[in-house]
Amino acid sequence: MNFLKKMAITASAIAMLSVGAQAGEIKVGSAGGVTGPIAELVAAIVKGRQIATEHVNSNGGLLKGDTMKLVIADSACDPKAAVDAGNKLVNVEQVVGIIGPSCSGATNGMVSSVTIPAGVTVLSDSATAPSISELKDKDTVFRASASDAYQGKAIADMVWKAGKKKVAVTYSNDDYNAGIANVFVKEFKALGGEVTGNQAHEPNKASYRSELSTLAQGGPEALALFAYYGSSGITIVKNSLENGLFGKFYAADGMFDKSVIGQIGADNLKDNIWITQAASDTEDASYKNFAEAFKAAGGDPEAPYAAHGYDVAFLMALAIEKAGAADRTKISAALREVAGPEGEVVRPGEWAKAKKLIADGKKVNYQGAAGVNDFDANGDVTGLFSVNVVGDDGNWSRSMLK
Amino acid sequence: MDALYGYMLYGISLATMGGIYAVLTLGLNVQWGFAGLFNAGIAGFFGIGAYTTAILTTSATHRHIGGFEMPYIVGFLAAMLICGVIAYLVGKVCLRLRSDYLAIATIGIAEIFRLILKNETWATNGPRGVSEIPKPFEHWPEPWNQFGFLLLVLVVVAIVYVLVEVARKSPWGRVMTAIRENEPSAKAAGKNVENFRMEGFVIGCMIMALAGALMAHYLKFVDPNATDPLLATFLVWVMLIVGGSANNKGAILGAFLMWVVWSATEIVTSRLPDELAIRAAYIRIFLIGLMLQIFLQKFPQGILPEKRPDVAKSNGNAETKMAD
Repeated sequence: MNFLKKMAITASAIAMLSVGAQAGEIKVGSAGGVTGPIAELVAAIVKGRQIATEHVNSNGGLLKGDTMKLVIADSACDPKAAVDAGNKLVNVEQVVGIIGPSCSGATNGMVSSVTIPAGVTVLSDSATAPSISELKDKDTVFRASASDAYQGKAIADMVWKAGKKKVAVTYSNDDYNAGIANVFVKEFKALGGEVTGNQAHEPNKASYRSELSTLAQGGPEALALFAYYGSSGITIVKNSLENGLFGKFYAADGMFDKSVIGQIGADNLKDNIWITQAASDTEDASYKNFAEAFKAAGGDPEAPYAAHGYDVAFLMALAIEKAGAADRTKISAALREVAGPEGEVVRPGEWAKAKKLIADGKKVNYQGAAGVNDFDANGDVTGLFSVNVVGDDGNWSRSMLK
Repeated sequence: MDALYGYMLYGISLATMGGIYAVLTLGLNVQWGFAGLFNAGIAGFFGIGAYTTAILTTSATHRHIGGFEMPYIVGFLAAMLICGVIAYLVGKVCLRLRSDYLAIATIGIAEIFRLILKNETWATNGPRGVSEIPKPFEHWPEPWNQFGFLLLVLVVVAIVYVLVEVARKSPWGRVMTAIRENEPSAKAAGKNVENFRMEGFVIGCMIMALAGALMAHYLKFVDPNATDPLLATFLVWVMLIVGGSANNKGAILGAFLMWVVWSATEIVTSRLPDELAIRAAYIRIFLIGLMLQIFLQKFPQGILPEKRPDVAKSNGNAETKMAD
């Protein structure tokens, strides 16, 4: 059993390596799908987290000059791996809090099985599934990216502001689109609008004429369309235009693709379709701070969720500073205090300023690169959305939705 | 934040995952170790078990079918039963294939299952997965709930081990070995080879489904990524080969050992500088492949080689009762 002996030696070596944190080092778990299906995206997200950590450490560090140390754990976008990674971070590394993981599934597994029972605060940068809002999490699960459901509210506001009072709704019968549609209907009615018809449709049908002619009754001014462009969205727009049933369309990001213009024609869509999308406001001062630092480090600041990655690491540092100790039980409450909406605005890179404000006992309101991080009761943020219309050049033209 | 307490909790999680993998590996041992069936679609059967119990035991939600709120035991039994039926149908189509072709066919079948779970959104919530699965003992205080679940897993491992061990020593097990070693001579001895292979395949798949069900309750969440072949098929193969195929103790040893290697290596790699730590995540995968190579080439029988049951003790009556 020579092999077993070697294994025993390896195991004891591992145990010795991992005894306790070094003095003056505060560990934060950095879980992410380093391997697995979204590994390329995660590389940029992790880079964002690292840059935020460097900003913290090179501007005075945490508390009394302690360094913030991110401990990487591979959640592989797989709930099995994420639970294992979470167990190591919480129990072996004894981290103060965890940022990540990347995928909604990995987040769901890790928080349900590990961190909620252990009372460790998790702040995810890219999990967007609505089911995470509903977890009974003792206020320990937060995220810096908007739940998909928020887009429904954003669209409702946009339609109402455009002066449309009566709309018909149709959605592809899947979790994502149904979720957005439900929120849209609720919010639009709350604003005072009227929903003349609301019908689910099955994707991949050859024609939607009968559904659309039913929906066109009652005098709707526009169609709110929640579908994927490929499986039903393009067909619905085509059928509507061909038969003169609907002329104006409001849609969520499932409809955003070049092929929509390609197949329906820019002339037909110009001034007739508005498609929302989750986005960062590239004109915002916070984003510019982040983008400059990210570019200087050799990255592309427009990489998906890289800005969110920066924000979660910075927020976690602020929460530790606010809590005044590397105490995992205090992070959740502290996180709410540094995220706003009240207090003096702190932007990416302004660690020294934030540290001073907290030392002086003033309130801090971190406005992140990816948007304001005012957490609601579920620990969610509303996020920022852009709207895409067909521009003069016949391509999509994007502007921020305010 | 007591470090020792933390290590103990981590130890519990290692043992729990190791135990679930031990059940999976025992299932594979029935197929490969006993009957010589090369099943490369473990993840598929594992996924069926996980989703079955997930849907049966969760409370009502608008995300997927369900709201049955069945007791755990119903979830476990239904997972095994449904997987058994599906395995029978798969076996009808695939089992006549020779070993390497069977491997290709089962990879394909596992992929089909994964795509069904991903796309039949009305039933499974598609890529978003099934969340808020209840976990046995979860209302007990820490750390007793974790101990409770570990105990449940270990009890399941023990029951499966005893049953599989009895089967191995029985005439049924010896027919299996005969088929594995020399199919024409088993046939010549009047054994219905196809039936025996089917039995081995179905029983193995049912055990895999049981492991899937345990995993679903442990994670409290399943999604199609949980049936990713790396951690649900190939790792299981490595566990069996390293532990010793056709030896049930070896299967269990291999499962615990490889899970500890897989999980604990990250504690070392996470101490590297960030850039290296990210790359080291891939080295862990490489390490698993390397171990498989070393064992296949240097110790093809694994740590605990196969031990044939003692023929002298069990001749006589048992032979005449042997099923054909």
